[in-house]
Amino acid sequence: MLKIKLSQTIPNPLQLNLECTSGELHALVGPSGSGKTTALRTIAGLSNAQTGSIECGGELWYEADEINGITTSLCPAERSCGFLFQQYALFPHLSALENVCIPLYNSVSESGERQAQARQWLNRMGIVELANRVPNQLSGGQQQRVALARALARSPKILLLDEPFSAVDAPTRQGLYKTLAELRKDLNIPILLVTHDLREADLLADRITVIDQGVGLQTAPPKVLFERPRNSRVAELVGINNKFEGVFNAGRLTWNGCQKIFEVMDKGKIPPHTPVAWVIPADGLSLHQQASASSIEAYVEQISLLGQIAVIQLLLNNATHILTWEASAAEVKRLGLEVGKNTHVQIDGSKIHIMPLRSINDPRRFTS
Amino acid sequence: MDIDAILLSLKLALWTLALILPFGIWVAHKLQKAGKSKSWLEAGLALPLVLPPTVLGYYLLIGLGGKSFLGIPLVFSFTGILIASLIVNLPFAIQPIQRAFEAINPEIIEAAQVSGLSDWQIFRLIELPLAWRGITSAAVLTFAHTLGEFGVILMVGGAIPGETKTVSIAIYDKVQSFDTASAGVLSLILLGTSLIAIAISYGIFGRQPSHPPERVS
Repeated sequence: MLKIKLSQTIPNPLQLNLECTSGELHALVGPSGSGKTTALRTIAGLSNAQTGSIECGGELWYEADEINGITTSLCPAERSCGFLFQQYALFPHLSALENVCIPLYNSVSESGERQAQARQWLNRMGIVELANRVPNQLSGGQQQRVALARALARSPKILLLDEPFSAVDAPTRQGLYKTLAELRKDLNIPILLVTHDLREADLLADRITVIDQGVGLQTAPPKVLFERPRNSRVAELVGINNKFEGVFNAGRLTWNGCQKIFEVMDKGKIPPHTPVAWVIPADGLSLHQQASASSIEAYVEQISLLGQIAVIQLLLNNATHILTWEASAAEVKRLGLEVGKNTHVQIDGSKIHIMPLRSINDPRRFTS
Repeated sequence: MDIDAILLSLKLALWTLALILPFGIWVAHKLQKAGKSKSWLEAGLALPLVLPPTVLGYYLLIGLGGKSFLGIPLVFSFTGILIASLIVNLPFAIQPIQRAFEAINPEIIEAAQVSGLSDWQIFRLIELPLAWRGITSAAVLTFAHTLGEFGVILMVGGAIPGETKTVSIAIYDKVQSFDTASAGVLSLILLGTSLIAIAISYGIFGRQPSHPPERVS
């Protein structure tokens, strides 16, 4: 179990509390410069937060407060961290086998045993036949696997992955996803994955923490995060397209710029007549050829075909709102959707998620 | 041919190399983390490059004369010219090694840290092999430069045969006494040695990316 509580203002702001249990793959997601890598480096001991604590497997790695300063700080070598760097950071003068031997240098004194263990790791990564090659004789994906073998060779208490799939092509990435999924089953250690790719986080992670400007905004399983973002900034960061504004009053949501009122559920936390942002996930939307009492007329402004997927842009409420809808090409055909024609949108009120509307500078947006 | 001068020059070059290389590696490594004082230290260490040999020689003559810092006079002795040679060669030994250390990607060092290596192990297993080219360049430059050093050695050591009269000084002596044939032979030897040293540096070590002093597997 990894428990971190980090706080710093310089050089980069960081306010992050999270827990990652053994066997869990936890993704840190956020835009570039949001502090994801800083968090990872701090956990590994490559940089220190001003205050906070890092505890892993019951062992205190770092502790500092404003009064006493740093009271505990293990150096990176003492932290038992497997760290996979974005650009691999393989030792260029050593072969793949020697690279994997390095983490075993202090724990396994006998050279033959060291080599045997390193070879096992390379075998597990499916690249044992490349053991004698130096990094510049390996492809990106192969280097990635050597780097992963090196990160795991020390039997670390935690595995930290810094954008590990960003520098490889799509087929290689798929192979690495599979390897990571298999490793997860066997390792049973906390795995922290830094990525800016939401699809990747959705695909791989058990839970996601969204970071923005160094602040952890929300931690939740992917499904919850995409359906019920904590606030409008989280919704924005997780790429929810259909985000609107309205006023919430005792279970009723008035959509700004339209007469439509939805019956929505909330936890009773939002006071009456509160301006809110609201989102509707894809499964809360449906399109129909025929109008109904609860449907809204929409004008098909654009249809973008991406292979078998079509992204349809609709104008609603006298072109005051834009709604994006994804469907298969077959569905588009079945509904007879064409640019310039009208259709009818049904919004399922029970799927609507409302959030307090706060400006980007409002500090409360991080806590709501 | 002045065999004594050739042997003395080789002795001086090898002693200089043996003493300055470990020091150069240490200083170059420390300079990476020198902070605000780095520029001043670098400037100080590069001074022998721009200082006229006679000026440097003069200060060394004053510094090493009398009882010197060792309590005994060092001018006009092999120890004296060795100290002078070490000082003159500082920039040639340190700068290539420093550039080589600086060229190492910091992430590689961090990867070694999180792999559990101590600072000494990182230095020995990662940094030193990766800086190998720079160290070779420093060795070749120092060796070749020591063989050819004239002004400072002459100021500090004079021209005592077998003690301070190096090849360069012997060539000067031969020319002064119109023995151009011997001067030509000695010059050719110096030229050949320097050429071989440079060829070794570029030809052998230059092609290999680097090689570790110790196997880690």
